[in-house]
Amino acid sequence: MIIWSIAKATVGDAMRKKVLQIFLVVAIGLIIISLSFSQTLSFSTREGASTDIMLIKSFGLGLMAMAGWLISLVMGVSLIPQEIERRTIYTILSKPVKRYEFIIGKFLGAMLTLALCVACMGIVFIGVVMAKAHGAAVSAASANTGISAAQAGVQKVQIFDINMLWGVVMIYLQFLVLSAVVILFSVFMTPTVNFFMGLGVYIIGVMASMTETMAKSDTMNPVLAGFYKIMHVIIPNFDKFNVTNTLLHPETHIANIAKYTGQVALYGIFYALLMVVLAVIIFEKKEV
Amino acid sequence: MLPIFCDYGLYGGMKVAEAIVVQGLKKVYKGHLGDSVAAVDDLNFQVNQGEIFGFIGPNGAGKTTTIKMLLGLLFPSSGKLTVLGKPAGDIEAKKRISYLPESPYFYEHMTGVEVLDFYCKLFKLNAEARKRKIGELLEQVGLTKDGNRALRQYSKGMLQRIGIAQALINDPDLLIFDEPTSGLDPIAHKDIQDLIRSLKEQGKTVFVSSHQLSDIESVCNRVAIINRGKLVKLGTMEELLHIGRTVITISGSQDDLAEQVKPIAERVSVEGDLMRIYVDTEEKVHNVLDTVRGKSCLVSVVPQKQTLEDLFVEIVREGRK
Ligand SMILES: Nc1ncnc2c1ncn2[C@@H]1O[C@H](COP(=O)(O)OP(=O)(O)OP(=O)(O)O)[C@@H](O)[C@H]1O
Ligand SMILES: [Mg+2]
Repeated sequence: MIIWSIAKATVGDAMRKKVLQIFLVVAIGLIIISLSFSQTLSFSTREGASTDIMLIKSFGLGLMAMAGWLISLVMGVSLIPQEIERRTIYTILSKPVKRYEFIIGKFLGAMLTLALCVACMGIVFIGVVMAKAHGAAVSAASANTGISAAQAGVQKVQIFDINMLWGVVMIYLQFLVLSAVVILFSVFMTPTVNFFMGLGVYIIGVMASMTETMAKSDTMNPVLAGFYKIMHVIIPNFDKFNVTNTLLHPETHIANIAKYTGQVALYGIFYALLMVVLAVIIFEKKEV
Repeated sequence: MLPIFCDYGLYGGMKVAEAIVVQGLKKVYKGHLGDSVAAVDDLNFQVNQGEIFGFIGPNGAGKTTTIKMLLGLLFPSSGKLTVLGKPAGDIEAKKRISYLPESPYFYEHMTGVEVLDFYCKLFKLNAEARKRKIGELLEQVGLTKDGNRALRQYSKGMLQRIGIAQALINDPDLLIFDEPTSGLDPIAHKDIQDLIRSLKEQGKTVFVSSHQLSDIESVCNRVAIINRGKLVKLGTMEELLHIGRTVITISGSQDDLAEQVKPIAERVSVEGDLMRIYVDTEEKVHNVLDTVRGKSCLVSVVPQKQTLEDLFVEIVREGRK
């Protein structure tokens, strides 16, 4: 009950942050605008339509990743420091609330806020993709007179693309991990320093394959190689979550995306839990 | 489970346990440049159960720091703290404690009702109990009609009242108030005094820090005065504030009269035609009167009770020297 109350209060507080609202509104606006991306380049209806859809998909996924990234950083860095700065924490921790309950409540609140944001963008995104696919199906049908629109839709363009749902889930998982890292840092770092640390962790995490190669490289100075190895091991592998290409070209990648998402989800949740545990340990000795 | 009391003392003829025991408490804040400030330095005192204990000192004396250590928000650099028989920050003790921070602040997106509901949940009250409690509390602090407004729109004094309301949720045995009257209008101010008196009647212990020395003087049983982190005075009002000072005012005195009374008096002040002579014993009153008789016109002889404010100013001035 205590953890849940703190989590709910955190969501309410975070969702009222102006910056966060702006990111969300701009991202959703851009996704909607992407509906108008069209056959300016290709006029052949069939190819044109599928290129358009492809364009919308990759634009939307990229945009949501960008917004998710900003939202998790901006929200994560201030979540706990703000409680201390605004002194709201005094009245909470002086109640029969254990310090770990406070921290877990905060983390849970952050996860929910992020889920809410990604869900808002994701629903609009999938809606836009479906609208476009439906439009393409209708125009394809009218081009091939004699075949009903619905049939044409089934044949030519898949209206609901389940892979896009996996894409949204992956974006959520990725930023769940990032925000967990940033919240852990926020227990002992100032928001500004933390913002850049989070940025660094994300960039290195995205280049996980590079750090891995560096670590294995024979020509590398062993100290440096060791450094890359450590980086590769401790920094979350955000590259794992980047599946846009697989999603956009499922025919060229034979991966079972649902299974892969499940595996990555486990990795992400495990990593985030680790961050929570560390934050709880550090916060136990923190002066507020 | 039996409450484990750390110590027993005699108070008011009754055998009672101490609500707060502070032993050799020290808190050093470390600066970024390696410099350090001892905000609280070797503090020792006890607060008995059922008493209203005033904790006063100038700005930066270390009051808030001490209070935050009592609640386990800060950790002492050294020394020992026991609150309701438990170490500071103990969860069982916190169920029976409440805290009103200095200029309290709350989630401003919530309304008065919502924020109290939130705090009630931290005490695990059920929905029905919460609803009843919130109604009572809003009534008690005079915010019933503002309960559904967002805290963002509250004035400083209204936030202070919410702070008081949240401190009464658990019907606590020990209330720790850090400047409860700051920012309140005279009516609310008086309400707080009445509240503290009624808490005393209910047998609660109140630990209150304030700059309103007249309030402290009128509601507290005992006070501790701290300056620069150190305890400088501790005692009951009767012990600390001695009566016995008398002010003799005369007018139309001759030039050298001031010189004549100075050896007897504690202090002599001349303001135009009026001369005020401060003396501290009855014998000296007679001496002064004998000296001035026939040489001036007696205006008044007023015995004065020292106020807490007088004592405070005296102590703090001395500390500066
Ligand atoms: N977080 C902190 N870091 C460093 N020094 C601090 C910190 N908080 C307080 N201090 C210092 O500790 C001393 C005591 O501060 P404290 O807030 O306890 O005073 P106070 O008695 O409550 O004063 P006031 O009457 O102004 O509220 C001051 O010298 C202050 O500068
Ligand atoms: Mg203070």
